[in-house]
Amino acid sequence: MPAVQDTIDRVRKIDVDQYKYGFQTEIAMDKAPKGLSEDIIRFISAKKDEPSWMLEWRLEAYRRWVTLDEPKWARVHYPKIDFQDLYYYAAPKSTPGPTSLSDVDPELLRVYEKLGIPLREQEILAGVQKTDASELEEASDNVYKSGRVAVDAVFDSVSVVTTFKKELAQAGVIFCSISEAIREHPDLVKKYLGSVVPTSDNFYATLNSAVFTDGSFVFVPKGVRCPMELSTYFRMNEKNTGQFERTLIIAEEGAYVSYLEGCTAPQRDENQLHAAVVELIALDDAEIKYSTVQNWYPGDAEGKGGIYNFVTKRGDCRGHRSKISWTQVETGSAITWKYPSCILRGDDSSGEFYSIAVSNGYQQVDSGTKMIHLGKNTSSRIISKGIAAGFSQNTYRGQVSAHRKATNARNFTNCDSLLIGDQCGAHTVPYMEAKNATAQFEHEATTSKISEDQKFYVMQRGIPEEEAIALIVNGFVKDVIQQLPMEFAVEAQKLIGISLEGSVG
Amino acid sequence: MNIHTTPQRTPAETALIDAFSDRLSLLPGDGTVMLKRDDAIEAIKSGLPTRRIESWHYTDLRRLLTSVPDFDTAAAPKAIAPVVEGSAVLPVLNGVSSAKMPEIEGIAVQRLSEKLTDGSIAPGLDLYGADDAIGALNMAFVADGYFVDIADGTELDKPIELQNLQAGGQTHVRLSVRVGVGAKAVIVERQAGEGAALVSSVSQLLLDEGAEVMWLIVQEQPDTATHLAQFKAHLGKNAKLTLFVMNAGGKLVRQEIVVRTTGEGADFTLRGINLLAGDTHTDVTMVLDHAVPHTASTEVIRNVVTGRARGVFQGRINVHQYAQKTNAKMACNTLLLSDDGEFSTKPELEIFADDVVCGHGATVTEIDHSHLFYLMARGIDEKAARGLLVKAFVAEVIEELDDEAIVEALETRLDGWFAAHG
Repeated sequence: MPAVQDTIDRVRKIDVDQYKYGFQTEIAMDKAPKGLSEDIIRFISAKKDEPSWMLEWRLEAYRRWVTLDEPKWARVHYPKIDFQDLYYYAAPKSTPGPTSLSDVDPELLRVYEKLGIPLREQEILAGVQKTDASELEEASDNVYKSGRVAVDAVFDSVSVVTTFKKELAQAGVIFCSISEAIREHPDLVKKYLGSVVPTSDNFYATLNSAVFTDGSFVFVPKGVRCPMELSTYFRMNEKNTGQFERTLIIAEEGAYVSYLEGCTAPQRDENQLHAAVVELIALDDAEIKYSTVQNWYPGDAEGKGGIYNFVTKRGDCRGHRSKISWTQVETGSAITWKYPSCILRGDDSSGEFYSIAVSNGYQQVDSGTKMIHLGKNTSSRIISKGIAAGFSQNTYRGQVSAHRKATNARNFTNCDSLLIGDQCGAHTVPYMEAKNATAQFEHEATTSKISEDQKFYVMQRGIPEEEAIALIVNGFVKDVIQQLPMEFAVEAQKLIGISLEGSVG
Repeated sequence: MNIHTTPQRTPAETALIDAFSDRLSLLPGDGTVMLKRDDAIEAIKSGLPTRRIESWHYTDLRRLLTSVPDFDTAAAPKAIAPVVEGSAVLPVLNGVSSAKMPEIEGIAVQRLSEKLTDGSIAPGLDLYGADDAIGALNMAFVADGYFVDIADGTELDKPIELQNLQAGGQTHVRLSVRVGVGAKAVIVERQAGEGAALVSSVSQLLLDEGAEVMWLIVQEQPDTATHLAQFKAHLGKNAKLTLFVMNAGGKLVRQEIVVRTTGEGADFTLRGINLLAGDTHTDVTMVLDHAVPHTASTEVIRNVVTGRARGVFQGRINVHQYAQKTNAKMACNTLLLSDDGEFSTKPELEIFADDVVCGHGATVTEIDHSHLFYLMARGIDEKAARGLLVKAFVAEVIEELDDEAIVEALETRLDGWFAAHG
């Protein structure tokens, strides 16, 4: 233990205040009054020009929500949230923002630069108003050498811009904000919205169903392989707002799509609420790959402020031989309550969950997955790596179940935890439920610190301690990083570095 | 899912509450004990645990406990021979201990009813948590059992067998054992009977410095009985406990194991076998607290599920912040032999110290076809080959016990079960 003392000391010294994305973007906002009521829901629905069925759907969810209690089973502690003290709608005003990057705070640009965000994308993120979206597309085209990414940027309650729409449309792919989808593609939305996460699912999903303001909609038609990576960038900007986005991704027969999600929020003393719902639907032979790099503001060194992240993500492998893969890198948020799941309904379908959860400061993470085996010959794989430092609590909570008719269900679960410092906690709570004799479930979990042997081995070869630890931590999370698309893998590695600053050089 | 409900009392809850007012005047205990009984019945009045209580997630006692039999004071269970020949037997028949005490050097035995009457057992009656429903049920109704004190330095050459035998009705028993400094003992806890009884049994074991105990729980209730049991142990400095649990019976069984290492160098080993058949529900729930540095534990649980049986294993290892250098390993392996059976497992690690090595593994599977093929290729028919493989799967755990007489005795019990359940 004493040998890593140095590291531990450094970790303790980590100033979580150095949250690099703690800027707030001063954009004039259009807000609904505080609080939640049927009137607010009507207001949101009207703002979005929604058809009446959508409003009814929201109201039904709201009426159910008022009868529900907050779930208490997760290993997270926080003061009671006053749901009436939040703004449920905040949108950037349509008054012109800065017209070029030179009008934007240079401090902000430096931060973007650190993050490695391409210039044109920076403009989007900084709220620079462009009249011509194609101009953006051309520009970003040059920036991404490794492959192009279409971006949907969501600021607080609304989607501000979506790029590459035209090119995607040529391939038949629909990629737009969910509000637009409700207006333009009501049949698709009606058919699939709430079919994976019903409005009655859980407290936060029900709340989201009532008040969701925006999010992304992706539809990949039969046989189409989406020509580029799709990505959404979420940013919570306004004070006291809750962000409730809703994402719906549908891959028809034989389609393939890879979707990336990234999030940041400004640094604020009070806690902000984020309750998203993501629904994935994969039909026969379709494959959806969903990657997240979550870096909401984690709160300061005393645990003040930070985002409460209560997210319901679920994929439905509805068709035979379909596949859904979740990859997540969780470094932010004061509280993370998130269990991306797969319902393996189709025969021979498979689900994957790769996760890295890094917690430091006073962060509390309770995350994991659910693999629900319903079809025949279904398989799932769970790889979870938790790294706890500082005063944080890091919990893996996962469920694997095989139902009566799920013959030959296979699961392999591996969750490893690494502890840095003796003030943090790492917990593993796997649930395994087998109701079919042909099921084959394997689960293994380990918890340890970086072993002296490993460190000695590396240091003996002339590598300094800090680098040695970095190397070992990188090795520890390698299985998951490999699953991320290239652009994200780099960002994820940087983020883990920032989160554990001091211990991983 | 989280909709508010106003719970209505189930018939079982009502029966327990009524039974308490009927029995109250007959229950032994001084003021402190009686106050604790009142608290316990209050806990039952607020409702039996449901699956919404995390530790009861897979055993919804409120739903599963459908009826509660009346007390049957006339019932008289038949005496049975001890598991290991020559053991000193301390029987509790239908909830009543024997006044005749065996005379063994270094051992003092007292009837628990006396310890309740004079209140000297009162501090040990406390519940271990808000969700301790078995503790509450037992605390409300416990009337007898034994208190065994094994003096410092005593080394027993024969096992002590604590028998809790029921013949229907309700029995609520407590078996309390203290093992002195450096003492060594083998203790068998036998749970059996022949009626559709409701049994609550709480065993408490206190190991002083350097004490070494092998404790075997052999539960063979009939498939009409409800068996709610708890085993609680504190391990002092350098104390060593090997706990073996065999569940081979009962309609609704919950065996809780609550162990805490309180002295450095303590070592805990758990070996468990759950043989599940018929339309039964068996739950083994372990909570292990590593509260001090330098302690070790290993747990291996093997389950065989046949028929329509439902099995549960929950194992939680808590490593406290101060408990550096903890070494804890847990494995739970299940053979699911029928399509109607089910098994749920939840092995948990809660770790607050960094310099530890902790791990757990869990598997659920059917018989390996290549193993079956190997045996059948050698001319063994399928049924016999399956039998061999299943037996080998559980016998492995028994063989580890490293005491010939005990291994043999347990294998006899095992054979008995296989003979009855094919």
